[in-house]
Amino acid sequence: MRHKKRQRLHWLDYLILAVIAVFIAVIWLRISGTLNYKWQWENIPNYILRWDEDEGRWFANLLLQGLINTIRIAIYSSILALILGTILGIARTSTNLAIRMLARTYLEVLRNIPPVVVVFIFFFFLSEQLIAALNMESWARSIARQDDIAVWEFFFGDMRRFPSLISGVIVLALFESAFVGEIVRAGIQSIPRGQREAARSIGMSWTDEMRFIVMPQALRKVLPPLSNQFISLVKDSSIISLISVQELTYKTVELVASTRMIFEAWITTALLYFILCFGLSLLFRRLETNQKGAR
Amino acid sequence: MKLTRRMMTATLGLALATGLALPAVAQDARADLSKTSVIEQIKEAGVIKIGLSVFVPWSMRDKKGELIGFELDVGRKLAADMGVDVEFIPTAWDGIIPALVSGKFDVIISGMSVTPVRNLTVNFSDPYAYSGLTILANTAMTQGMALEDYNKPEVTFAARRGATPATVIQQLFPEATLLLFDEDGASTQEVLNGNAHATMMSEPSPSMEARNNPETVSVPFDETFLATGEAFAYRKGDPDASNFFNNWISVNWKNGWLKERNDYWFKGTEWADQVDQ
Repeated sequence: MRHKKRQRLHWLDYLILAVIAVFIAVIWLRISGTLNYKWQWENIPNYILRWDEDEGRWFANLLLQGLINTIRIAIYSSILALILGTILGIARTSTNLAIRMLARTYLEVLRNIPPVVVVFIFFFFLSEQLIAALNMESWARSIARQDDIAVWEFFFGDMRRFPSLISGVIVLALFESAFVGEIVRAGIQSIPRGQREAARSIGMSWTDEMRFIVMPQALRKVLPPLSNQFISLVKDSSIISLISVQELTYKTVELVASTRMIFEAWITTALLYFILCFGLSLLFRRLETNQKGAR
Repeated sequence: MKLTRRMMTATLGLALATGLALPAVAQDARADLSKTSVIEQIKEAGVIKIGLSVFVPWSMRDKKGELIGFELDVGRKLAADMGVDVEFIPTAWDGIIPALVSGKFDVIISGMSVTPVRNLTVNFSDPYAYSGLTILANTAMTQGMALEDYNKPEVTFAARRGATPATVIQQLFPEATLLLFDEDGASTQEVLNGNAHATMMSEPSPSMEARNNPETVSVPFDETFLATGEAFAYRKGDPDASNFFNNWISVNWKNGWLKERNDYWFKGTEWADQVDQ
């Protein structure tokens, strides 16, 4: 049992708060003095939600469309990265030399190249081949031409942008799977050897051992770094704005180019990303405490 | 049959060989496709894909979040004349030529100035608009400076990375310092804040900025630089496309449509209430 002592503010706390307040005030004065900028905050809410006179209902405008796309991209690429990363983590601990070496090569290549470079290389060289080979463009366009595409639009947004969305999701998942692979490998290797030997001794095959003994414990153990990686993926999704995927960062760039509201637009986008990532971090903390309580 | 290691390695080798052969097959398919003109591809797909980048007033987002602008009108008329649908693909300016070359869209209609360097990678149609570049300068910092005075190391220019003004500034004012930004808005803000002496942009942006902030910035010189004209850009090796686009532009110059649209977007300001400026 923990007693909560009444937290009383010491005089030192007041001093620190006063210094911080003065610091912020000084910075604010300097910024408004030297920054020759006409603030237009009243125009921003229109770009999040727009009230249409003719149809009489609310429409999602640029920033909200971008946010929804970012959420879609984050979910799809993190599922894909989790699958790929788990396979990679298992491959890294395999007894077969070829598999181990292949996994190590994949990991080191993707981990040691900056994400922007990976995105450009993948987009201009590989994704075009993939899209041409699968004939994705005409398929996506034929779907976009149909009449009731509400379900498709809910999951994938504008279907005509589907190939570039898929490129973005795949490259992001490939890049993140390298990190997830390392995390999963650490989790697997942290399971005591005694348990694996015991599993073998009662006659479990390798797949049974992985499925029933090792993976449940390993994944539960690495949930904190995995949740960290997920949040990092949401932020890394802003990189694929460079290949013109219509997510939040790209929409903000377009908004700034159209209306010159640089600071309002970027501050609003920062707030939207913060709300998204902080919400996720609270969710994951909840998951961890649930786990700890259950044990 | 026991799964021996040798058998597994052989299967892996076969899989790798097939995997490496597939891109080669796709490459051949794409090469065949690109032998036919882009006009044929557009007719077959029933849609023309136009790459553009947001650039006031060529194309911009209005209050509804829709794309409006001179390029949008041009693209829609082109598609209507071809009898196909139109799809606008907003793209980051830095990567717009690589995206065209790798086939993400059929043509760039985005106020792209004709320069020899670009012409080595893509083909240009005849110009469909002529807007020169002018200098936008911070009035206080550039008081009494003539054009030659800008060519000194203490003078700082700000420009958009990858856009023609950056190259022109480097050619005309090689001694001056040049700062590069990803958007026009950022480079204009540098001049407004007094961190850069001047920037260079395509008309009518400098005049619009000078109208919005008359105390801080101004357009000091009337002369326009590099009025080579803006044109459609499309992939090389396509004489049919050249013929089609050139004739379309020529027809629309002669019947006055291009000039009328140009005056509406560049000289007038009736569209200003649709966009927050």
